[in-house]
Amino acid sequence: MNRQILNATKRELENQPDPKSKGEQEIDLDFLTELGSIGAGHAATALSDMLQQPISIDVPKIRLMQAHLVPKFYNKHDAPTVAVYLQLTERYGCDILLMIELEEAKKIAAIMTFASSIEELDPTMETSAINELANILIGSFLTAISDFIEMTILPTTPQSIVDTFDSILDSFLIKQSMVSENAMVFETRFKRQGEDAKCMLMVFPSQELNELLTQKSKTLIKA
Amino acid sequence: MFYLPTSHASKNVWLVILYKTPNQLILAYQQESVPVATISSEVSPDVEEIRVDMADMKVESKPAELLTSVGSCVAICVHDPIHKCGGLAHIMLPKSANSQHEPIPSKFADTAVPALMNGVHKVSGKQNRLSAKIAGGANMFSNLGTNHLDIGAKNIKAVKTALDEYKISLIGEDVGGLHGRKVSFNVVSGLAIVRSFNGEIKKI
Repeated sequence: MNRQILNATKRELENQPDPKSKGEQEIDLDFLTELGSIGAGHAATALSDMLQQPISIDVPKIRLMQAHLVPKFYNKHDAPTVAVYLQLTERYGCDILLMIELEEAKKIAAIMTFASSIEELDPTMETSAINELANILIGSFLTAISDFIEMTILPTTPQSIVDTFDSILDSFLIKQSMVSENAMVFETRFKRQGEDAKCMLMVFPSQELNELLTQKSKTLIKA
Repeated sequence: MFYLPTSHASKNVWLVILYKTPNQLILAYQQESVPVATISSEVSPDVEEIRVDMADMKVESKPAELLTSVGSCVAICVHDPIHKCGGLAHIMLPKSANSQHEPIPSKFADTAVPALMNGVHKVSGKQNRLSAKIAGGANMFSNLGTNHLDIGAKNIKAVKTALDEYKISLIGEDVGGLHGRKVSFNVVSGLAIVRSFNGEIKKI
């Protein structure tokens, strides 16, 4: 079912017949979505605890599309965005990008540093608060996943940058397009106080990690 | 106090100031000569703004402002100074590779340059000598993997090699660094304005 929707979206986007790709077809997308839901759920709980406000998540979506079509798909162009990037070390590579709209990041940073408004926010505290936010979100996401697949996952130190939405994705997607023409975007949106928190987590697993997850899903389903 | 308009919306503000205090406006010209000069190309009502997406390419002969945002990718602006037309390509990678999809010439430096050149020659109908301006090739994620070489620098090099090969003279560039750029290229005047997120504006 999931795959049908996905392929339909893909065709719609590219406006061309379904391309025959070998690797991706074998991945169990339902399993990946489930894995992502668990991870994102944990991240949302961690964030709720920290901000002492209810944070909820949308059901994560997995989108498969040609890498260069991703910025067009989101259509945010020059929106000021904070991006935190990190990678998984060890054998199985994976790139993780957390994108938060600048205004929203400032709001969250103000709550974290007990500033009464965005204006009172200390700029030096802002960056570290945002990095910390990313650490908590991504850390809890990864912990949940590593528990599930029974493997230790170690992320690199996060790096944060502030720039426009398109130029961040531009640099990031180049790396994806060097490996494969298709990017698998794993997208989770967080909601704060019922409103869209304009916060997005994108996960780009490598081919090796995909294969590993596929194996894991098969053994789990059998057991 | 006065401030300078930066978009269509604030054009009216500028006009009000113009009528009320012309002296202050002259002062504005003197103090902030660079932004005022860049505005003139932006507020012209005849100019159509066309966005060029990632791995895309547009060639125009009518007055148009081609817009694109680049990080490690490179925006190549090619201009025909005699026929007042030009094109912009947003390339992602240095070299074309075997593709399972329909090949996209504007995605790679080595194929985008001839495609742009042919496109501009086609709309002008003449094989005029062209000039080029490039922007982008930043290295935004400095820790993007230990074995990940600086793709921005590779892109810049590949674009320059390709331009050389097709005898297109490179007359302006704003490349490298750690930040993204928004490029707007006027196909008639050949002026390219590069805006950085920190508010820096460069004319190349």
